[in-house]
Amino acid sequence: MKTVRILAVLLTLSLFFGHTALAAERLRLATTTSTENSGLLSVLLPPFEKAHDCKVDVIAVGTGKAIKLGETGDVDVILVHARAQEDRFVAEGYGVNRRDVMYNDFVILGPTEDPADIKGLTDGAEALKKIAAAQATFVSRGDESGTHSKEKSLWKAAGITPAGQWYLEAGRGMGEVITMATERRGYTLADRGTYIAYKSKTDLQVLTEGDKALFNPYGVIPVNPKKHPHVKIELAEAFAGYLTGAEGQSIIANYRKNGEQLFFLYK
Amino acid sequence: MGFLFESFQHAISLILSFDREVFNTVWTSLYTSTVAILLAAAVGVPFGTFLGLGRFAGRRAVLTLLNTLMALPTVVVGLVLFGLFSRQGPLGSWGFLFTPWAMIAGQMVLATPIVANYTVAAVAGADPRIMTTALTLGASRLRAMRQLLLETRFGIIAAIVAGFGRVIAEVGVAMMLGGNIRGYTRTMTTAIALETSKGEFAFGLALGIVLLTVALVVNLFLNLLQQR
Amino acid sequence: MEPILSIHNLEYRRGDFTLTVENQTFLKGRIYCLTGPNGAGKSTLLHLLALLLEPDRGEILFEGTLLKGAAERQRLRQRITLVEQAPFLFDTTVYDNLAFGLRLRDVGSDLQRRRIAKALQTVGLDGFESRRARALSGGEIRRVALARAMVLRPVVLLLDEPTDGLDRRILPLFERCLTALSDEGVTVIVATHDADQPGRLGGDILRLDGGRPASPAGASAPALSNEPTEKSS
Repeated sequence: MKTVRILAVLLTLSLFFGHTALAAERLRLATTTSTENSGLLSVLLPPFEKAHDCKVDVIAVGTGKAIKLGETGDVDVILVHARAQEDRFVAEGYGVNRRDVMYNDFVILGPTEDPADIKGLTDGAEALKKIAAAQATFVSRGDESGTHSKEKSLWKAAGITPAGQWYLEAGRGMGEVITMATERRGYTLADRGTYIAYKSKTDLQVLTEGDKALFNPYGVIPVNPKKHPHVKIELAEAFAGYLTGAEGQSIIANYRKNGEQLFFLYK
Repeated sequence: MGFLFESFQHAISLILSFDREVFNTVWTSLYTSTVAILLAAAVGVPFGTFLGLGRFAGRRAVLTLLNTLMALPTVVVGLVLFGLFSRQGPLGSWGFLFTPWAMIAGQMVLATPIVANYTVAAVAGADPRIMTTALTLGASRLRAMRQLLLETRFGIIAAIVAGFGRVIAEVGVAMMLGGNIRGYTRTMTTAIALETSKGEFAFGLALGIVLLTVALVVNLFLNLLQQR
Repeated sequence: MEPILSIHNLEYRRGDFTLTVENQTFLKGRIYCLTGPNGAGKSTLLHLLALLLEPDRGEILFEGTLLKGAAERQRLRQRITLVEQAPFLFDTTVYDNLAFGLRLRDVGSDLQRRRIAKALQTVGLDGFESRRARALSGGEIRRVALARAMVLRPVVLLLDEPTDGLDRRILPLFERCLTALSDEGVTVIVATHDADQPGRLGGDILRLDGGRPASPAGASAPALSNEPTEKSS
């Protein structure tokens, strides 16, 4: 029947296209959603892809999942911002040759009315103490991400275990959490990059910033080929070298979103 | 919400401008869902036919199981297959994860119970004389079943359309198994999820309108096929 | 004349109904009329002879050979054809309906066309090849079903109430087809309600009632006449 023939042609075509898609060399990179959403990778990756005739598959998930993907060998290299977990990743033999790439910072966002009165503070833990005291709405990532880890360390420094109706654990990405905090007129801890990207969608303001403890460093770690022999180690090392090399670093430093610089280099 | 009208305008301009990225997501959606539904039909239609015609102990149990599988949550399918395809899993050496093949496999798992179930309905509700007529004219049992499928082709095509609708519109499996990689495993649905998570509601909805348009075109095409 | 089909100790049960035929032989080229009230088992017997049903007990012999196994039954179904009481035509053209069986038998397309044209002519449906089966009237459906069976040149042709409700003007044509087939050596077994049909067809009568032959059936002699007063044992 004619139908059967059309379907057979479709199936053959699809197998053909599938094959060509698999033909290019692919490097798998697991990174965080905030990194991907900043848009940096769309300008940072193409020169590398061209120079090495490959495609970088960016899998953007939460920090915890990105690291897990590195542990299971489902990706070739990870780019995350969770120092403690990164160190453990290397110490346990999952990754090799960690390199510092760039940093940005976290800020505490809040509504203009600022019920907890934290505006102008430069101490993160201090700001959280006041929020808890005022029982003002605070939206947490709640998802073991880099941001969440940072938030937890601040609560610890403040000596407080956050609990109660005012503390909302969202279990969502940074963008969604900012949206939620905006709707609920609450506070949240966010990376500056996502905030800049969201400036047009939220009326929350940066109320606390500049604390050394709000520092957010990024590290790139190729997956250890001893643990996962199939990993594309040369390409992964080349990638790490590119990120920390002159070309990569210059692209990072020059990247602007909404006119503002998102990422900063180590000098 | 103000973004509804804005989205509509955005959708039109996206379609008309043949935006490269949008085109890629459309192609990926169509490609993975089509291959998946073809595979699902290859398994589901024969299985549904045998189940619809057969009389054996435990047939009721199998039918009940099939009904339950129709309601499989996509995230559950995604999780199970993720466990299978991950490097740590038994099928890790296939290297399927974060490729279109994993998405196709997941969508096939979703669609097969639907295709099978609708096929059972079509076959069981078919005129019983179809089989006996074919048999008395000298057909083998297999040839008679083929004739049965021919005679119930509307029901079978409906089964395939239903399965296709389910997979082209789902996001759980595509996201978990594909990884939403731009230009590779980003489908219309995962792109919408991404844009929504970035707060780009208007763009997300625009993509949604594109998705509906594509689904409409596909259904029109299938309709034409049915008319023949 | 040789026996083409014979039944020994046949028993078939479905629910409360049991069909029992101890001994019956059908000779080549003869016409047999199955008569009897509704529910007597005429249809069931035809389906058993068509090898569409399997008896619970007993044997059916074809040309003296015992039938065993599904493969053999399928092969023989290419030589024994049944036209159902309410015939089913496939949802396609008249031509494709008639060609169905011919394609199964690997008949070449030229020969196909000729045989189909001739069969349609015989049942008075000249030129009906491209008509859609679903668009036919009741009488036309019956005639197409007959043509579809005839075109296969079966050795045994079974028909279940084939002229029930058929237009009186077509009836003689239909019956002439059946007698012509018998003259060509085809064994024709017809279940009928029409009390006068056996007389017109000139066939032997086998009367069934309550699942059993209504008159004592001898080893090879067919049951005779249809005295309505005869009681079943």
